[in-house]
Amino acid sequence: MNLYEHTIIARQDASPADLKQLTEKYSKIVEKNDGEIVKTENWGLLNLSYLIKKNRKGSYIHFKIKGDGKMIEQLEKNESLDKKLIRHLTVKVKKFDLDTNYFSKKDENDKIEKKEKNKS
Amino acid sequence: MPKKNAGNKKNKSNFAKLSIFQSNKYKFKKSCPLSIKGAPKIDYKNIKLLRKYVSENGKILPSRITNVSQKKQRELSLSIKRARNLALI
Repeated sequence: MNLYEHTIIARQDASPADLKQLTEKYSKIVEKNDGEIVKTENWGLLNLSYLIKKNRKGSYIHFKIKGDGKMIEQLEKNESLDKKLIRHLTVKVKKFDLDTNYFSKKDENDKIEKKEKNKS
Repeated sequence: MPKKNAGNKKNKSNFAKLSIFQSNKYKFKKSCPLSIKGAPKIDYKNIKLLRKYVSENGKILPSRITNVSQKKQRELSLSIKRARNLALI
């Protein structure tokens, strides 16, 4: 059972509901091909450093999957058909580091907002 | 490692031009900043670290300027290319 880090970038105009639907759809595909999702991270809407299919922004979803190659093949085949996704990347990894999340900006924003509320 | 000395000789000549990338203390410290015990992990998601080793217009800095060891430079360039693919850099 190999360990994979799989990242997909959804289009700019994908609403949060679509994103949830996307994650469910792909996690179902993984489970169907006897893979296992260890962790799912939603990095949120980030500015792309260059235009991908005329999109300036993209919402990133990151999966940490345990499974074998055939499952990844299935996953990527479905993703290339999907119109909502503009890019996907799978990286085979020796081991996961589940704690560090480099894109957890949301927590910092919440802290700042709380401070403002206390002040005002 | 003959390559190391040659790098330094060239380093001295264009010293002023290149010092904007790296603070002086890196220049004289021969050790690789990434192989120290507490160095951050090289990962395509860790864009804060990767940005230090990329020039303004996004090119990968050579290891003779950033004093990075060959093994770390290979990992670095691989993760930078992955980050580029994901449009993070």
